[in-house]
Amino acid sequence: MKQNKLMLVLGLIVIASMVLSACGGGAATQAPTQAQPTQPAATEAPTVAPTEAPTEAPTATPTEAPRTTRKGGWLDEIVFTVVDAASAVTQLKAGAIDIYANGLSSADLPSIKEAGLEYATANGLYYDLLFNPAEFKNGELNPFSNRKIREAMNWLVDRNYINQEVYAGGALPKWFAITTQFPDYADLADTARALEAKYAYNPDKAKEVITAEMEAMGAKLVDGKWTYNGKPVTLIFLIRPDSDGTRKPIGDYVANQLESIGFTVDRQYKKSSEASPIWIGSQPDEGKWHLYTAAWSATILDRDQSNIFQEMYLPTSAQGIPVFLANKPDPEFQKVGDDLANAKYNTLEERHELMKRALELSLQDSLQVFLIDGKNYIPYVKGLQTTADLAAGVEGAQVWPYTTRWMDKEGGQLKWATQGLFGDPWNPIGGSNWAYDQGAIRATQSGDVMYDPFTGLVWPLRIEKAEVVAQEGLPIGKTHDWVDLKFEKEIKVPADAWVDWNAKDQKFITVGEKFPDGLTAKRKTTVYYPADLFKTVKWHDGSPVSLGDFIMTLIMTFDRAKQESPIYDEQAVPTFELFIQDFKGYKIVSTDPLVIEYYSDTYQLDAELNIPVLWPTYSFGEGAWDVLAIANLAEANGELAYSTDKAGQKQIEWTSFVGGPSLEILAKYLDKALSESYIPYAPTMSQYVTPEEAKARYEALKAWYGEHNHFWVGTGPYYLDKAFLTEKSLTLKHFADYPDLADRWSNFGEPKLADVTLDGPGQVKIGEEATFEVAVTFKDEPYPQAEIKQVKYLLYNAKNEIVSVADAQFVEDGKYTITLSAEDTAKLEAGSNKLEVAVVPLVVSVPTFSSIDFVTAP
Amino acid sequence: MTAVPQTLSEGTKSKAGTSTLSRVARFAVIRLVTLFITVVIGVFLTIMIANMGGYVDEIMRSEIRERTIMRVAAMTANQEVTPEMRKKLTEDMIKLEEKRLGLDTPFMVRAFRYLGNALQLNLGRAVNMISDSGSRSVRAIILERLPATLLLMGTSELILFFSSVFIALSLSRNYGSIWDKIVIALSPTSAAPPWFYGIFFILIFAALLKILPFGGMVDAPPPTNPVEYTLSLLKHLILPGASLIFSSLFLSIYNWRTFFLIYSSEDYVEMAKAKGLASRDIERRYILRPTLPTIITNFALLVISLWTGATITETVFLWPGLGRTLYQAIGLYDTPVIVGSTIIYAYLLAVTVFILDFVYALVDPRVKVGGSGQ
Repeated sequence: MKQNKLMLVLGLIVIASMVLSACGGGAATQAPTQAQPTQPAATEAPTVAPTEAPTEAPTATPTEAPRTTRKGGWLDEIVFTVVDAASAVTQLKAGAIDIYANGLSSADLPSIKEAGLEYATANGLYYDLLFNPAEFKNGELNPFSNRKIREAMNWLVDRNYINQEVYAGGALPKWFAITTQFPDYADLADTARALEAKYAYNPDKAKEVITAEMEAMGAKLVDGKWTYNGKPVTLIFLIRPDSDGTRKPIGDYVANQLESIGFTVDRQYKKSSEASPIWIGSQPDEGKWHLYTAAWSATILDRDQSNIFQEMYLPTSAQGIPVFLANKPDPEFQKVGDDLANAKYNTLEERHELMKRALELSLQDSLQVFLIDGKNYIPYVKGLQTTADLAAGVEGAQVWPYTTRWMDKEGGQLKWATQGLFGDPWNPIGGSNWAYDQGAIRATQSGDVMYDPFTGLVWPLRIEKAEVVAQEGLPIGKTHDWVDLKFEKEIKVPADAWVDWNAKDQKFITVGEKFPDGLTAKRKTTVYYPADLFKTVKWHDGSPVSLGDFIMTLIMTFDRAKQESPIYDEQAVPTFELFIQDFKGYKIVSTDPLVIEYYSDTYQLDAELNIPVLWPTYSFGEGAWDVLAIANLAEANGELAYSTDKAGQKQIEWTSFVGGPSLEILAKYLDKALSESYIPYAPTMSQYVTPEEAKARYEALKAWYGEHNHFWVGTGPYYLDKAFLTEKSLTLKHFADYPDLADRWSNFGEPKLADVTLDGPGQVKIGEEATFEVAVTFKDEPYPQAEIKQVKYLLYNAKNEIVSVADAQFVEDGKYTITLSAEDTAKLEAGSNKLEVAVVPLVVSVPTFSSIDFVTAP
Repeated sequence: MTAVPQTLSEGTKSKAGTSTLSRVARFAVIRLVTLFITVVIGVFLTIMIANMGGYVDEIMRSEIRERTIMRVAAMTANQEVTPEMRKKLTEDMIKLEEKRLGLDTPFMVRAFRYLGNALQLNLGRAVNMISDSGSRSVRAIILERLPATLLLMGTSELILFFSSVFIALSLSRNYGSIWDKIVIALSPTSAAPPWFYGIFFILIFAALLKILPFGGMVDAPPPTNPVEYTLSLLKHLILPGASLIFSSLFLSIYNWRTFFLIYSSEDYVEMAKAKGLASRDIERRYILRPTLPTIITNFALLVISLWTGATITETVFLWPGLGRTLYQAIGLYDTPVIVGSTIIYAYLLAVTVFILDFVYALVDPRVKVGGSGQ
């Protein structure tokens, strides 16, 4: 018996120890988290303490990197592998990986800091409350059909509390649809700050407004609960417990706030697949829901978010979701939103005014109450330098292959871990768009231009310069000198420019043929390439880039969307239609050096962004004409298809240049092409490609395939050495023939976020002048005035209302003064006031704010 | 005189033989038909459940719209695109995606198509998933993951099975020994699932001691030399395999031990002991033989259970097995993959059950195929 008891006790101890262990604090390898594929994209913006941003930036200081003779990337080899997010920090600590490029959520920030790792930031999702604005058919009261109640919700929720409690302070409170770290916010910083102050957390005001409006709608507060026609007003709140898990605590917090002012809340926790048929699939007036914890993403650093008000609030939204159609906005908001979306403004100043008004009206409408601009954190080991795009992080930054390096060391291996690999087949036309795949693909490709990770503008990469000629009256401006901007009354498209493609004859159609009466365009861009382009730039298989690659790019723009083409694919049609509606022509002005003119009716506000993609970079990667030629042959013969849609329809394989059954098929057509010195689209391409070049291309490709067992050939600083599809791993190696020095993009090592300090008197006499000093620095050095867009100040009175907004006076680099006039101080009452300064740099689209409190006395 | 009885005897034998054959044939046919009907019902129910009776179409439509909206927003960022064009682009892309996923065909039509194809083992194409090599063929998706699953599950389950049976047999012969007590005491350890041990093993052997990898199937980049590749594979197999074995070992031994103990205390075993038979003979002839049908059944079911993989353990160790594939397929509502995996499992189960009926008769003289006990 004693022995049995002993065994029983022992057994219980074992179980208890396991239970205790399971409940214990979490090491990085916690639960079995299923890797959630992240599709292309990213997300969000700032509001509260952008001054903290520098701590989140990569720590590299490549601006001071010594000159080098090394070409291409800094590293010798990059090994990609797949790691679950739950164990990323542990693996980084253990040295098993060097960077977790996919990023972790704000919840992981404390463990990243605790592990002593470096980290960069990227946009995460942005979160909001989406309201059902319809009046319900069932006769029940929907409080959110009342615009003023929706507006009052801004005062009912404490965004700072959500940020601290749910996101460990690592996100940014958000009031507007525009993204806080994007250029539009920086441009509107003063207006935004004023509105943020106006709509700051104020539950008493929220209660006052909601009470008045509810009573006006016929509701009664009985025993602290709102009732309508004798029944409690019950709000159906769709709360998402899935996604990154943060929407549940947000939902619970908002529900608590609503209950605190008398609403009955039916919290319905529904994951995406359960919630979307309700909030997207049902008609709003059916009354199946009242509010929803929505989240959106902004993965591209968008410099022009003028369409977002229409997109996020108005019934004219392109989203086509019933809830937007059901909104009845203020007519002024409708007009402002539509005008912005349709670019109905003549100058950038006019646009600026419309945007300012839209910010204010959007808060009054509040179909969506924005709460948080989320952040992702990309942890990496000490000693590594890298660059993160403000929106898309490291993986999504075009520049990462050029700046990522071991500190003060050339060469070496990098162990790059991410969430997945080979999510879809790789082909440049319709292949994988997974963020993790594109992260690797970026290192293998080059391009016409380099996207500035901090401003969203572009710099010349392979092109030398560009000229943009715009029609007079278009609101286009420029920032950099490498692009020339002119305006003309009328831009005529030359008759010999190519405007369309005859897929049957395989020839371009000229403007003269299609538009005998002539054609005009709203803008013309002339792109100039360097004289040594075709000598210095090589594909990874050793073939020099040639004019044929450019012509192929132009042909492929049209051919897949033409029904007469043997590679027609209906999947290509929608995007082609988007392109062709504004396209007006290409003209090759000179073949060596290469100069190409591009005519179009579409334009962007920055001249730098009006550069067309003429480089052989397609939607999902680079493509040499010879590689595409054999893939086209395979598709024309019904054996492969670039897109998943066509592959599914025809029951054939989806083209993959890196593995699977595609390789044998491509190899077969490579042999065929080689034996025939095949020139694709011969009626056009044979004017630019000789049979000798074709043969040499195919021979180089065959040798490449023999060595690397794939057809992924680019011109980037790294080449794909081996792809291991089942093992989910790949190896990139340094491309020694890359033409540029490794330090060419070193200035993108770190976003130049301004440090701002504000100094001045602690006490100011009402009606007397007062002067404050502003110091703007970066790494303790004065911030050059040439890199500053504006330094504005906002004066708040004791009630936190804006009294005055104006520019600070420039003194010298890094120094400004703010002089509050006697009239300004006369507007203040006795009490504690605040002066806030907003510094907006040109080189990074993140404003920095700093404030000082002072007391006023009569 | 002898010839007649002999003839009679042969005739009787022949009749008996024919009768046995027809009995077995009748049994086989009825059994096969029953099993087939069961498979059909099982697979159809799987299709209906996986699609929530067609409601998944609505979910997919909403999700397609949500996804397309995001995609169009990214595509048209930094472009002056009119709202009308944006709307048209969105609607066109939604239409194409719905067509690609077959949502333009009524669900019931698709459901019977899935069923028909599945029964013919025409597994078709996945709607969302792809194989590692980039193919949408369900066959490729499943076959690609099969070796990894068989390696992990096969190795661990076979080690677990045989070690459990033999240790249990030994313990049953040493009832009450210290080892017996230790095993009983440790049997509650099986209350925790394999991934639970997996996490601990990772922490100890990968994070702290740094002697074994965190996960995956081979090193990155995978060695090109076959010997090194195999060694790398084995190194990566240790932790997930050990987790699967350790989490079930003691309970499994305990179960088998109890099972053998019952048989060990039968009268005929006591009699054999009294007769002074060697302990090895007693085990083989008097304990193992009557328990063989149970052991075989367990083994057969274990073999086909390898097909299902170990979802969470595979996820913890990023092991590219079938369990993860099926889990992903369910999450993505990828009916062809779910049905493909199910139909193969169903056929395997049906065939195993069918064969076991005959195996029982072979190993246990008390069992008669198709007999009613006469």
